[in-house]
Amino acid sequence: MDAGDLARRAAPLAIATAGVAALLHSVRARPEPLPPDASVPKIEAGPTTKTIHGVSTRRPTAKGRVRSGLSDAFTTPFSFIQVRVTFTGRELTRVETVEMTGTGARTQAINERAEPRLRAEALRAGNADVDVVTGATYTSQSYRKALQSAIDKARHG
Amino acid sequence: MADAAVAGGLHRVETVMGIPVGVDVRDDGVDPAALDRVFAHLRDADDAFSPYRAASDVSRLDAGTLAPAGTRPDVRAVLARCERLRRTTGGWFDVRATGRLDPSGYVKGWAVDGAVAILRAAGARNLCVHAGGDVRVLGERAPGLRWRIGVQHPGERDRLAAVLHAPREGLAVATSGAYERGAHIVDPHTGRRPGGVLSVTVAGPELGTADAYATAAFAMGTDGPAWTAALGPYAALTILAPGRMLSTPGMDALRAV
Repeated sequence: MDAGDLARRAAPLAIATAGVAALLHSVRARPEPLPPDASVPKIEAGPTTKTIHGVSTRRPTAKGRVRSGLSDAFTTPFSFIQVRVTFTGRELTRVETVEMTGTGARTQAINERAEPRLRAEALRAGNADVDVVTGATYTSQSYRKALQSAIDKARHG
Repeated sequence: MADAAVAGGLHRVETVMGIPVGVDVRDDGVDPAALDRVFAHLRDADDAFSPYRAASDVSRLDAGTLAPAGTRPDVRAVLARCERLRRTTGGWFDVRATGRLDPSGYVKGWAVDGAVAILRAAGARNLCVHAGGDVRVLGERAPGLRWRIGVQHPGERDRLAAVLHAPREGLAVATSGAYERGAHIVDPHTGRRPGGVLSVTVAGPELGTADAYATAAFAMGTDGPAWTAALGPYAALTILAPGRMLSTPGMDALRAV
């Protein structure tokens, strides 16, 4: 089972964590029966928290001024998310999940699977050969909001 | 949030109506205060039209605690426009489809149209405003270069289904689909979700209308593409399944480089 499979199976649970809501949408378009997934832990009694950190980078295609921006902190009922981005010229060359903290084992399991995927998507989308994307309405997505906040600050800096 | 200068232009992203709204002005010399007016306008629209705010004109109208005659002129104008759209879409765009008054399907685009008018009045001629997947562009992204609008692939989050090249005179693009917010569109006739279609993208002169047409065509399901063939200055792209798209001639022209 690759990371994508894991992410797809975990996705219905992501409703509970708005921070990874983006993952859910790719699943809705490909409905499939969900097998019992032993790898998703049961919710534990008592709150526990776990912090995820991750970095994706991309080689710039041209030299340019390097600027970074740290997002505001975004919270959901289950998670805390903060992102840092780096531009080289006008290219998005680095996305760092500074902190994605989830409370409860189930949230942590979902976050662990979603975070690398969201980060990689952000890096790719930031360099798509278009200026803007039209799509069905976004729900409030904390990761996306954090990303935009970071991009805004990098451009300002 | 802070304004950011991008190659002499203006750029700002803020969350309004629960969605990220971005303004990107590429002209030099536009007063940054215009951005304040844009976001004040968007928040004001949310205050008046949000069905999630108990104090909004729309919520009070729906609850019967506010008479239609007592609403703001812009609320009356928007609801009158929604009623005309209900008729021109054969009832498929209906602000009461869910059983309560919810003109959000028109208001988001209408509010962005108003934002563009504010920016034009401030001297901007080359700009892009996007609000949760709805897009309006004007002019060019750089001298001689057209704005490029990607249409989200409904299955793969990081892929595009098509790219539209906006004419200099501008373009409004709206998408309705099943892949983002789930069942937020229902068939006004049955109260159920439409079937057979993943998303409908409509492009034309005005965003509020494009949004309403996209909502209507999506609700029609597989009957939508035929209906979109006769929308005058509005072009449409219907995605039936990954890799299966139906495009009107106007949309084909926008997709050509």
